[in-house]
Amino acid sequence: MPAETEMAARQARRRRQLRLVGRYVLLSALAVIVLFPIYITVVNSLLRPDQIAARPPSLFPTDPQWGAYPDAWTDGHMGRYLLNSVIVTTAIMVGQVLLAILAASAFAFLEFPGRRVLFVVFLATMMVPFEVVFFTNYQTIADLGLLNTYGGLVLPFLATGFGAFLLRQAFLTVPTDLRDAAAMDGYGHWRFLWRVAVPLARPTVAALSVFAFLSAWGQYLWPLVATNDEKARTVQVGLAQLRDTSLNDINVTFAGVVLASVPLIILLLVFQRQLVRGLTAGAVKG
Amino acid sequence: MSRARSSTLQATVVLAAVLTLMVLPGGAGVAAAQSVKCPVKALARASGPVEIVMWHSMNRANEETLQRLTNTFNASQSAVKVQLLNTTSYRDTFTKFRAGLSSGELPDIVQLEDTALQGVIDSRSVVPIGACVKADSYDTKDFVERVLDYYTVGGTLYGMPFNVSNPVLYYNKQAFQKAGLDPNTPPKTLADVRSVSEKLVTSGATKSGYSIKLDPWYLEQWLAKAGKPYVNNGNGRDKRATAVAFNTKAGREIFTWLDSMVDDKLALNTGPPEGNIDNLLAIGAGNSAMTIDTSANLGTILQVLGSGQFPNVTVGVAPMPGPSGKGGVLVGGAALYIPKASSPEKQAAAWEFIKFLNEPSSQAEWSVGTGYVPNRALALDEPVLKAAWAKTPEYKVAYDQLVSGVNNVATAGPVIGPYREVREAVVNAMTRMLTQGVDPKSALADAASTANDQIESYNARVG
Repeated sequence: MPAETEMAARQARRRRQLRLVGRYVLLSALAVIVLFPIYITVVNSLLRPDQIAARPPSLFPTDPQWGAYPDAWTDGHMGRYLLNSVIVTTAIMVGQVLLAILAASAFAFLEFPGRRVLFVVFLATMMVPFEVVFFTNYQTIADLGLLNTYGGLVLPFLATGFGAFLLRQAFLTVPTDLRDAAAMDGYGHWRFLWRVAVPLARPTVAALSVFAFLSAWGQYLWPLVATNDEKARTVQVGLAQLRDTSLNDINVTFAGVVLASVPLIILLLVFQRQLVRGLTAGAVKG
Repeated sequence: MSRARSSTLQATVVLAAVLTLMVLPGGAGVAAAQSVKCPVKALARASGPVEIVMWHSMNRANEETLQRLTNTFNASQSAVKVQLLNTTSYRDTFTKFRAGLSSGELPDIVQLEDTALQGVIDSRSVVPIGACVKADSYDTKDFVERVLDYYTVGGTLYGMPFNVSNPVLYYNKQAFQKAGLDPNTPPKTLADVRSVSEKLVTSGATKSGYSIKLDPWYLEQWLAKAGKPYVNNGNGRDKRATAVAFNTKAGREIFTWLDSMVDDKLALNTGPPEGNIDNLLAIGAGNSAMTIDTSANLGTILQVLGSGQFPNVTVGVAPMPGPSGKGGVLVGGAALYIPKASSPEKQAAAWEFIKFLNEPSSQAEWSVGTGYVPNRALALDEPVLKAAWAKTPEYKVAYDQLVSGVNNVATAGPVIGPYREVREAVVNAMTRMLTQGVDPKSALADAASTANDQIESYNARVG
């Protein structure tokens, strides 16, 4: 290879390497910023309260105190509350996804009068803040006698305009040729939906599932108001009971936060790839 | 008496009662409240143990103490059985309570914070404790007067104060010594705090003298100390408050004092109050030697600062310094209310439990276990409290503050509907003044106008 092109090739390689290093540095910095609060939460759950109060604060537990975790488990009633949270959140997730699939399929694949208007109405519900419907929902649930039950915790959250919107967009990307082909093969709407459309939209369905799970898991005010005892209370209420205005056992509060996050982290790890694909699905054409 | 005369007499009595009710001051809420009775004798009618539920916001160690007291009560008699429900925080408890007003899901006792008083009155949903006191001829002679005054509006005692706290001065005795000051003579007035801070700074004992947490109650407490009301209409107690009364010379003096201390580098601004303990940590770090914080934190402070982490700190606790005047420190904490929705037997049962919690021995145990101040003087004779206070006399400071000074309309404390929003306006004003260089007069005026808007819209909503 002539000398100039060799030098040019080397320069190009170096530039690529520099860009790579730069990218890694930037990503590491962002990762530190994002992960630091989580890291500190875990660290603080292993420190003594006066170590947490120390300035400058410790960044690493040289003498980890594991005692905060059993305390958080009992004081925050984590056993029962985690179980309730998992049941309620899973029910909400499954319900939301199913109903979103059905609604989205109607908007994407069926023709009926008022379709556009109805879809806009669905979208409009996304603009109503939760606080506005809070008391009315509470009254409805109370009248139905569902206070302090799983039903009362799940029912108001089974349908969201967001889910219908997200999946409609995903279903609209199903090529019409495919639909025609399926119609020619004798597929009705129902079979087409579950055999063709949903598998194609799997990343979006996964993304919606995770989103539904996350928002349901984080609910606090509704479970607090709609439940009266351990029977149906969820983990966020338990966390609030660990909250203290003074420093006395703040490491227990941190331990509670870690315990309450464990199911979320497991879920995210399991669905990670689907989630990323679902979120970036529309980004690349063709 | 003949029939005709007795019915005339009855009619006259009824007419007199109606006219009296119409003439009484206060809105419909107050008149209605005075006609609500407390069925203290209803317990005798009950066939078995009456089960009642109490919603509270005590967490962790405080909850344990409350549960212990409840267990003692349940074990000591068989007419009433109390079940506690932790509803996590004062604010969330009030939300849950309000939601319950529409569905009927209400407890038989609810613990609500001091600032919720007007909201509770406006909900028209509680049996005023004063009615129970009257019906049962309950002796409240030794109760701390200011504490009962706080929850008395329009002549009616609405809630029974349960956990009482107030702000005290925390200071570093070692820093005082280093600056050549007497560690046992803490400052009493704002001028004292200023001169002490000057000595601390010039001697190099600490970087600044005082750490300021941007707490809205600086204005509330210091106006009370100066003997001035916070809102109009008798601090909201003669009639519903319609405007704030802090945009006055006294209020401006307070704001100016805070501003000049920070400007002259004699005080540190350590930020907004939510969960913030930086004002205390500043003492530990040697950046300041004094701060004001709630007496309810005393236990933690003694534990943390005494853990050996801060060897240069010896904690001193003193009455809250403030402007001079015919006033005193305000009551803080929460009180117990009995919702009207409960059956008469449950209301009577609730009253029995409240009476138990008021027993001197209960109040002593409660105070020792939590650091709250007892609401009556007889508790001070209890051996367990005497011993605790002998061992750690710092705990006594908050109590002494409550029984010293004058008991008047200013020290009874303000009753405000949108209390939280008014406090927000004051905190915003303090923030703007101390961090953005707004002058004290304008900052205070802004706070007053925002607060008045909030009060107006609240009053319009409630009618």
